[in-house]
Amino acid sequence: MSSTQGFVSLDALSRRDALRRIALALTAAGLGQGMDPADAAQVHQQVGEERTLQGQYKIKYFNEHEFRTLERLSELIVPADEGGPSGREGGAPEFIDLLSSQNEELAHVFSGGILWLDNASVERDGARFVECSEQAQTGLLDSLVDAERNETGAETSWDTREYRRFSVFGVKSPSDMRQGLEFFGWSRRLIVDAYYTSPAGIKDLGFLGNSAHTEYTVPREAIDYAFKRSSLRDA
Amino acid sequence: MAETEFDVVVVGAGAGGGTMARVLSEKGINVALLEAGPMLDPQKDFKTNKWPHDYGHRAAEEGGKAYFGTGQAYGFMTAVSGGWELEGEPYTSAPGTEFAWFRSRVVGGRTNHYGRMSFRFSDLDFKPYSRDGIGWDWPIGYDDIAPWYDRAEEYIGVTGTVEGIRSAPDGKFHEPPPPKVHERLVRAAGKKLGVPFIANRRAVITRALNDRPACHYCGQCGRGCLTASNYSASQVDIFPAMKTGNLSVITDAMVREVEVDEQGLAKGVAYVDKAARAEKRLRGRAVVLAASACETARLMLNSKSKHFPDGIANGSGLVGRYLMDTVGFSLRGTLPALENLPRYDTEGFGGAHLYAPWWLWDRHDRLDFPRGYHIEMGGGFRMPGPNSFGRTARAAGYGAELKRRIRQEYGCGIGLSGRGEMIPNNQSYMDIDPDTVDRWGIPVPRFHFSFSDYEWKQARHMERTFRDLIEAAGGRVLGIGNIAREAQGIAVPGSIIHEVGTARMGDNPGSSVLNRYCQAHEVKNLFVADGASFVSNPDKNPTLTINALSWRTAEYLAEELRKGNV
Repeated sequence: MSSTQGFVSLDALSRRDALRRIALALTAAGLGQGMDPADAAQVHQQVGEERTLQGQYKIKYFNEHEFRTLERLSELIVPADEGGPSGREGGAPEFIDLLSSQNEELAHVFSGGILWLDNASVERDGARFVECSEQAQTGLLDSLVDAERNETGAETSWDTREYRRFSVFGVKSPSDMRQGLEFFGWSRRLIVDAYYTSPAGIKDLGFLGNSAHTEYTVPREAIDYAFKRSSLRDA
Repeated sequence: MAETEFDVVVVGAGAGGGTMARVLSEKGINVALLEAGPMLDPQKDFKTNKWPHDYGHRAAEEGGKAYFGTGQAYGFMTAVSGGWELEGEPYTSAPGTEFAWFRSRVVGGRTNHYGRMSFRFSDLDFKPYSRDGIGWDWPIGYDDIAPWYDRAEEYIGVTGTVEGIRSAPDGKFHEPPPPKVHERLVRAAGKKLGVPFIANRRAVITRALNDRPACHYCGQCGRGCLTASNYSASQVDIFPAMKTGNLSVITDAMVREVEVDEQGLAKGVAYVDKAARAEKRLRGRAVVLAASACETARLMLNSKSKHFPDGIANGSGLVGRYLMDTVGFSLRGTLPALENLPRYDTEGFGGAHLYAPWWLWDRHDRLDFPRGYHIEMGGGFRMPGPNSFGRTARAAGYGAELKRRIRQEYGCGIGLSGRGEMIPNNQSYMDIDPDTVDRWGIPVPRFHFSFSDYEWKQARHMERTFRDLIEAAGGRVLGIGNIAREAQGIAVPGSIIHEVGTARMGDNPGSSVLNRYCQAHEVKNLFVADGASFVSNPDKNPTLTINALSWRTAEYLAEELRKGNV
């Protein structure tokens, strides 16, 4: 599937070129060696540069109001902070829109969920969700989280033959916010995933993989950090 | 239509068929290799170096299938071509039993994406009955196969260190990469508990070999490797063999039957050309079945003739019997010592850098189960994808706290998986479902399966050991590794994808299907080169042994062809 939701797919040819360069460099370097790290960096920079933002997003499934609600939720659930931008910048509304345009079940969860959210907002604060103050918006989300925690409990046991302390989530008591919780759960799941799979989210996490190395090493600093925090001694 | 005559017709282009086709074609023997799926094009089919954000669906697949459990097995990015269910190619299970059958229909088969754990069987593994009176001994011993392990490892490339452990024989190793931080913590915990962790043995090259460049540590083996720095039958066996000019690869060819002549010898195969939806035939002096244990047994049972009314070479009645998978169980945990760990690239060579070979092999008198398991490990800063942070996000709620917690807990999760030996039993087998055919009109397998107390008790030992390891590492158990698969406390039979044993070898034609060279007792020009020949299923992932046995069978077959015996 081609991607038009903000990030452009690398075309097969340029990726092939990049990989061929990796292969050539590694082969040329011969036994026990690898490619020059500068070469590796250049290949990956080259790959990165081909991934540029493209044009205005055209909404596929939601109406303007629904999409604006998703944008606002994306800012609240994954807010901008010193580590990175918000879920909105991470492409969450576009991601939810694309999947909902392809999946009726998700479309129902989100359309119905946004109506539920607006009804709840009107009841609590007299206006639809996006028209409320930030304080009112977070107040509503807080009540959803409270209901979720009450409903799901924290950690319940999973009964296997021997070991009974598994912490899967189990239902404790039903909530009158069931429909809202379903929607909230899906919103958080997709907003979180959209953000952390975006280039900004990858950077926020500090994920350093998808790279080429001549040699694999584990930094001393990381080993020492972990063992200092544990009672164990490195073998 | 004219029938083309080959020296050898090989059915199945995975580890066994790929090795067979390469070894024979390099000797100038004219080989036809039939594959039920398409040709592999790594440039097009492998997603090496891709990011989730290269796709609008962020690797969750169209409509978010990954969230509904309906996406590709093992995820969108992997090189899987098939899965647990193939459209139009069903299989069935007898009432009250369950078996999951994984098929990857493409040149290279499951070796394009497999875990590449490459462990030699030990001398103990070949003679289990002699040790504990359970199961059966193999007709061959470690000394018979050791030279073939050498050849296979030297050609494929396998990492490891020389350890001198009897239950995990050393091989011809490439240098392994150093252990990651979480692996060092688990190794230290293992040391406290007497569970030794050693360098992992995987089919990855860390120095250049036969025009294949060394691993560049992107960690994406499961997606297929564009530089062929790991083993796959497609890139390492079949593509080089095609260059000999002696190998014809025939794709989208679903073999229906091994055909026999008036003397009851194999004369070739009948297959369905999927594209043409037409039946075709190939003739050969010998036929080698390497379609995977269950597909091979299905083909043998479906090859009925006046000589073989119960299926070809099935006078013993053992084709399809003694089906085994591996005993699987996993726990997930979290290690707080890793919170906010300084970031580094944990991808490495595409799997754990350490594993624990079975360490109690000489202490079974103190255990309530007869055979062992090894421990595999997962963890590190993995590339984010669908549901990577579901648990943390839910626990944190939303907002600034959610982001903080995800940063803090990223990379803290670990998983420990046991992979153990199953004892062959009478209740676990496959036959042909009398009521079901696939879209090609071919009768399909029907599975019958039952674990015994041997396997259940072993799985509970895994559970206690993994709990102890996680807690000794200062961590907390979060739950079963794969709830969908292991909710019963043991992995669904078949789901570890180590199915073997359906045409076992032996010296006695009354109690085995194949002889010690994987040649059918009753049909001297019919051979088997996949896991069907296994007499037992040790806790060693089967592919390396399939490679070694296939190589050995190929040399034997070439010699028999040269002598005119076949």
